[in-house]
Amino acid sequence: MISLAKFSQLTLLTLVGLSLSAPGVEAPKRIDVKQLSKKVEDVVVPLPNEVFGALNKLGGVNWKEYVRNDKGSNFTERPRIALLLGTVIADGFIAVQAEDAPAVKDIGQRVLSLAKGIGVGDSITPHAKAITEAADKRNWVGVRQELDRTQNSVQQAMNEVHDEKLSHLVSLGGWLRGTEVLTAVVNKRFSTDGAELLHQPDLLVYFQGRLQGMPEFNMKLLQDIRTALDDVRPLIDVGDASISAESVKKINEITTRLDEAIYTKSQ
Amino acid sequence: MHSFSNRILQGACALALLLTISPRASASVDDAQSFALQAAEPYVKEGFQVREDYWGGDLAAGEKKAVKQQLFKGNEYWFWLGTEIETAKLSVHIYDAEGKLIEETDSWQKGQFAAARVVPKTTGSFFIIVTIEESPEDRTHWALVYGFR
Repeated sequence: MISLAKFSQLTLLTLVGLSLSAPGVEAPKRIDVKQLSKKVEDVVVPLPNEVFGALNKLGGVNWKEYVRNDKGSNFTERPRIALLLGTVIADGFIAVQAEDAPAVKDIGQRVLSLAKGIGVGDSITPHAKAITEAADKRNWVGVRQELDRTQNSVQQAMNEVHDEKLSHLVSLGGWLRGTEVLTAVVNKRFSTDGAELLHQPDLLVYFQGRLQGMPEFNMKLLQDIRTALDDVRPLIDVGDASISAESVKKINEITTRLDEAIYTKSQ
Repeated sequence: MHSFSNRILQGACALALLLTISPRASASVDDAQSFALQAAEPYVKEGFQVREDYWGGDLAAGEKKAVKQQLFKGNEYWFWLGTEIETAKLSVHIYDAEGKLIEETDSWQKGQFAAARVVPKTTGSFFIIVTIEESPEDRTHWALVYGFR
């Protein structure tokens, strides 16, 4: 038999416990996705290191192989700079995976110079400094956080001056470079689980939609990217089926070609 | 000179009073975001990288919002929801692309904070459903942040 005082103490403890962390509100086991479709918020484009992290768990990847040391060309067209900026930030995440401090520091400076070229340098200066400091201390968690902050600040600064389209191109550049490296890694040592990381059909639709909304950027490079995304879509939008080794190889060829076009002046 | 100082003091008091009695006048999604980040804080120590990007807006009590998100098999995700309205009650739940509830059992809810954890068994799109269960306000600001490891 429990005394009243003890019962009160137990009740109090239980109440305190519940108030600290109650389980979630009971949710329906199923929802009608079609009914939701009109109320869905835009997808947040994952960072390249979200997919790199998942890839890493499938087995050791020699990230040093994918670190890019070439500084690339300089451009004056803002859409090209935006695409390149996204690509270079993705390169930063690759350099972090490889724990390559000099490459990370170079990338920090390159990001700053590209951001200046597009008129948003002021918002990036503190991040570039923080990237260098964190790389010097080999604080990889800190570098990852700063790269995310850098991309966020660039895009916020663009949105503030109504350059949302350039902001989308930054995300697209990062996604293309991330996909190029993902397919290169999986292509080298194919696994169904690795290939499954390419199952991103809604992201592809998202980027296709954004590109359609940029008719004013009449550039061959953007037309090439539109065509390439059309080619990639059936390869990754496979429903419950697995993505084949052949598809991974094709996507790698496509994204490598696009990455070269973004990085060099020939286009 | 003395009267000038008094006036300044009176003005400062009036401004302070105004700020005290209408804290919601300046409340925004950014405030909601700071609460969502507060919910996320303990998880950073456990190795979660919390994204800078976030979703936010305002909803009436009983209203829901869906967010579509690409998740990768192999990662572990937490979604944290917050509002600046202390007496509001929020919830967040995760469904797969077919609309089936998939979150893990350690998801939690505590007044103006809620969180849901998922370790996706497949790579693909998922729906994060945000609900304002109860609120004393007509519209309640909310913000959803997420982290992964």
